[in-house]
Amino acid sequence: MNDIITTACKFVTSSIGRKILVALTGMCLLLFLVGHLAGNMTIFGGLSPEGGTSWIDSYATGLHSMPAWLLWAIRLGLLAILLVHVGLTLILKYENYTARTHYQMEGTLKATLASRTMVLTGVMIFAFLGFHLWQLTFNGDPHDCYHHILAAFQNPWCSAFYIVAICCLFMHVRHGVQSIFQTLGLNTRKIRPLYNIIAILFGVVVCGLFISIPVCVLTGILH
Amino acid sequence: MANLNLTLKVWRQENAQAQGRIETYKATNIPDEASFLEMLDIVNEGLVHEGKEPIHFDHDCREGICGMCSLTINGVPHGGKHVTTCQLHMRQFKDGDTIWIEPFRAKAFPLLRDLMVDRTALDNIIAAGGFVDIRTGSAPNANNVPIRKKTADAAFDAAACIGCGACVASCKNSSAMLFTSAKAAHLNLLPQGQPEKNKRVLAMVQQMDALGFGNCTNQYECEAACPKGITVDNIAKLNRDYMIACASEAVGVYS
Ligand code: HEM
Ligand code: SF4
Ligand code: FES
Repeated sequence: MNDIITTACKFVTSSIGRKILVALTGMCLLLFLVGHLAGNMTIFGGLSPEGGTSWIDSYATGLHSMPAWLLWAIRLGLLAILLVHVGLTLILKYENYTARTHYQMEGTLKATLASRTMVLTGVMIFAFLGFHLWQLTFNGDPHDCYHHILAAFQNPWCSAFYIVAICCLFMHVRHGVQSIFQTLGLNTRKIRPLYNIIAILFGVVVCGLFISIPVCVLTGILH
Repeated sequence: MANLNLTLKVWRQENAQAQGRIETYKATNIPDEASFLEMLDIVNEGLVHEGKEPIHFDHDCREGICGMCSLTINGVPHGGKHVTTCQLHMRQFKDGDTIWIEPFRAKAFPLLRDLMVDRTALDNIIAAGGFVDIRTGSAPNANNVPIRKKTADAAFDAAACIGCGACVASCKNSSAMLFTSAKAAHLNLLPQGQPEKNKRVLAMVQQMDALGFGNCTNQYECEAACPKGITVDNIAKLNRDYMIACASEAVGVYS
């Protein structure tokens, strides 16, 4: 038992251990994104013509009809994962900042823009998340989800903020997805290009589909 | 054979406490077959003749094997041509170029003077576990120790690290992961390194963290700057070996 506790303490205070926790929590957040996206896509079911409930309304009421303890367990679990991810990355980045002394003439050989703006895009995602939860989760009505979303995105400022935030998410995920493989020790020179392709494809598909919603509302395809 | 006339922007700093600054020098009539350090020798000779303090920089073998030369050239340690500064030739530059020359910067590499920094921290990482305790005897006969060709090649590639510290200097986070992972991998891959593998990995990572290096963010600047072609595959292996070492240490599985 002693060995387990001392090793665990060492792990969560070491550079590699914390990076692995960032990668694992990042992976959970990616899974959440996929699940959330799948749910959102029900909006393209549109309104049912005979005045019944639309797909997205039944999806929303379905989510809310799960036992309260389960709903809150999932919510708090996700919140904990997010806080571990954000907390650890900010600590790691602070340490990185203090470890460096700066060059007068700085050169960059191959660090991508995405990799150099992870804190910025991360903070942007965080800010967006707060607004998004306030707007659609806490002030929404699951029985009329469809019209609530439509009304929200018909405001161009709201749609623009959403689209910018999802573009930040793309940047974050573009570096993050391939980074997971390296952090978890699954990377080699041979397979690295494949991981980059997976990261870009994942980003394009997920972020593209998220953005398709406000775009379809603004262009009147969803009405 | 054209000779070059260059403008140098060089970091000058009398000692660790002094306030450093960039100073501008003219390097005139530099033969293009001169190495970068020979170019500085020529400039220094001129400075000495004028009664000024020459530019201090580190060097030793001047043939790319000792890892003593440093210099961040135009923002890139060793200049980014996959060779050490001592093996970088002036033919890589054009007449009229302005070249920025700064030390290898990192908090863990305290500056001594001008372009010289103290890279003892890297030795301390090796001292924590980058060795084999047991007597391994003299060189064994060929094929006496069974080892797969590809494994031997990977160990040999990792062992090519000369400990120059360019990986740390180029890293946006001043992380020493490339160096540490190369030093750990070249022993961890070989049969002689197996008995102490877990102990080595845990000790070297702990020492690396304690010395104030930053944390890797998988940007791979180190790999691009390394003069010896050390790849970040070694970092992935260190991450893997670290997980295995922690897990087996925690639950008491000894291999
Ligand atoms: C849905 C939300 C998010 C997802 C899917 C996500 C995903 C990821 C992934 C996969 C990684 C790579 C882990 C690794 O292997 O090192 C990562 C790293 C990181 N994340 Fe997030 N993240 C999210 C939210 C955030 C937020 C809100 C922040 C706020 C500051 C943030 C900041 C960072 C930082 C700074 C890194 C480290 C980057 C690096 O090592 O270069 N992330 N994220
Ligand atoms: S890994 Fe490359 S850059 Fe880093 S110390 Fe070794 S030889 Fe130098
Ligand atoms: S002086 Fe020895 S490697 Fe450059």
